[in-house]
Amino acid sequence: MQQVPAIVDGRFKLFESHAILIYLACSFPGVADHWYPADVSKRAKIHSVLDWHHSNLRRGAMLYVINTTLAPALGFPLNLQAAAKAEKTLDASLSKIESIWLKGSGKFLLGSNQPSIADLSLVCEIMQLEVLDENDRARILGPYSKVQEWIENTKNATKLHFDDVHGVLYRAKVKLRTQRENAQSQPSLKAALQSKM
Amino acid sequence: MASLTIFADRKSQPSRAILIFCKVNGIEFEEVKMDLFKGDHLTAEYEAINPMKKVPAIAHGDFTLFESHAILIYLACCYNVSEHWYPTDLRTRAKLHAIMDWHHTNLRQGAAGYINTTVVAPKLGKPPNPEGAAECERKLIASFSTIETMWLKNDASFLLARDQPSIADLSLVCEIMQLEILSMEERNRMIRPYKKIQKWVERVKNATNPYFDEIHQLLYEIVASSKQQEA
Repeated sequence: MQQVPAIVDGRFKLFESHAILIYLACSFPGVADHWYPADVSKRAKIHSVLDWHHSNLRRGAMLYVINTTLAPALGFPLNLQAAAKAEKTLDASLSKIESIWLKGSGKFLLGSNQPSIADLSLVCEIMQLEVLDENDRARILGPYSKVQEWIENTKNATKLHFDDVHGVLYRAKVKLRTQRENAQSQPSLKAALQSKM
Repeated sequence: MASLTIFADRKSQPSRAILIFCKVNGIEFEEVKMDLFKGDHLTAEYEAINPMKKVPAIAHGDFTLFESHAILIYLACCYNVSEHWYPTDLRTRAKLHAIMDWHHTNLRQGAAGYINTTVVAPKLGKPPNPEGAAECERKLIASFSTIETMWLKNDASFLLARDQPSIADLSLVCEIMQLEILSMEERNRMIRPYKKIQKWVERVKNATNPYFDEIHQLLYEIVASSKQQEA
């Protein structure tokens, strides 16, 4: 499919991150049950979050980041209409996570007090918003206190590994912020790089 | 076993996949017929079943679940269905998961997107969007091509060259059936080059009939009546 991620395990090749996460959880001994519970009902609920993700959070977040930050950084024109549409999808998705998936008093999705592969997949998606202009990110995430707490819970549950794996993203964030600040002091560039809205 | 209720609109592709799956496997259920055009999915009672307010959804005793792939997997595991529907081998299962995941943003987006843009949106008074339609058609054609080259390796098979259908075959074929709503000219333009796809659709129908045709009857009637109106 010429996309990432993919894995190779011996001669077995697999793509689609949710399929990979499930395969790894089932194939490798020592993976704690909470990541992908053996209980059929709990597992089904995790599947429903992962399925919902494709056309909701992923779609909104990805299209928003592309249309406000990545495209201009790569020299493509800004598409404000597409960005506005994506922000609606993103906001609706965050709202659903806040009110539906994080309903109750659990620290993680589906009322659980331990993380699953669904928490990891969705939080990594939201982490992509780190590359946005700080004001935009604050505006988008601001209304959702449960979401913000859940992101911290997930980071804490995966400690060193989370920040280690996100190293490239954190460096991209700094680079893009510097580009934006330079553009602020150069009006002609500012027009090209200014985040919408 | 607790009683099973399926909330379905037979106009909906994923609803049909679940109904056919249950009938083929002799799973007893009560069907609550939802009509999306009448807003049955927007009631407070239904929101208690599926807070996302979409179909399909199930209630199995006190347990409720939405998202058709999650439902198909759940039912395959709870009931004693033949192994070919949801293989126990981890690697085969992983490959089926990958197809079903791929489906969301490829075949589904292409097919349903094209129908929404060219058939549903005009009925709701929205302006024409030929660019949007062309983009969906590109995605749909690319999806047919991917299915043929990656997953339908020989002529006498189902996805992943298996000799019996899985829940992935059912889900994807029900999606392709939605294209019956289009004019014959449009549908033929898109699907004619893909002989393997056409033969695979027939194999899935044969493997699940008479239930496949029974569950698709509403769709066939809608198509027939709209053709009469055009004539």
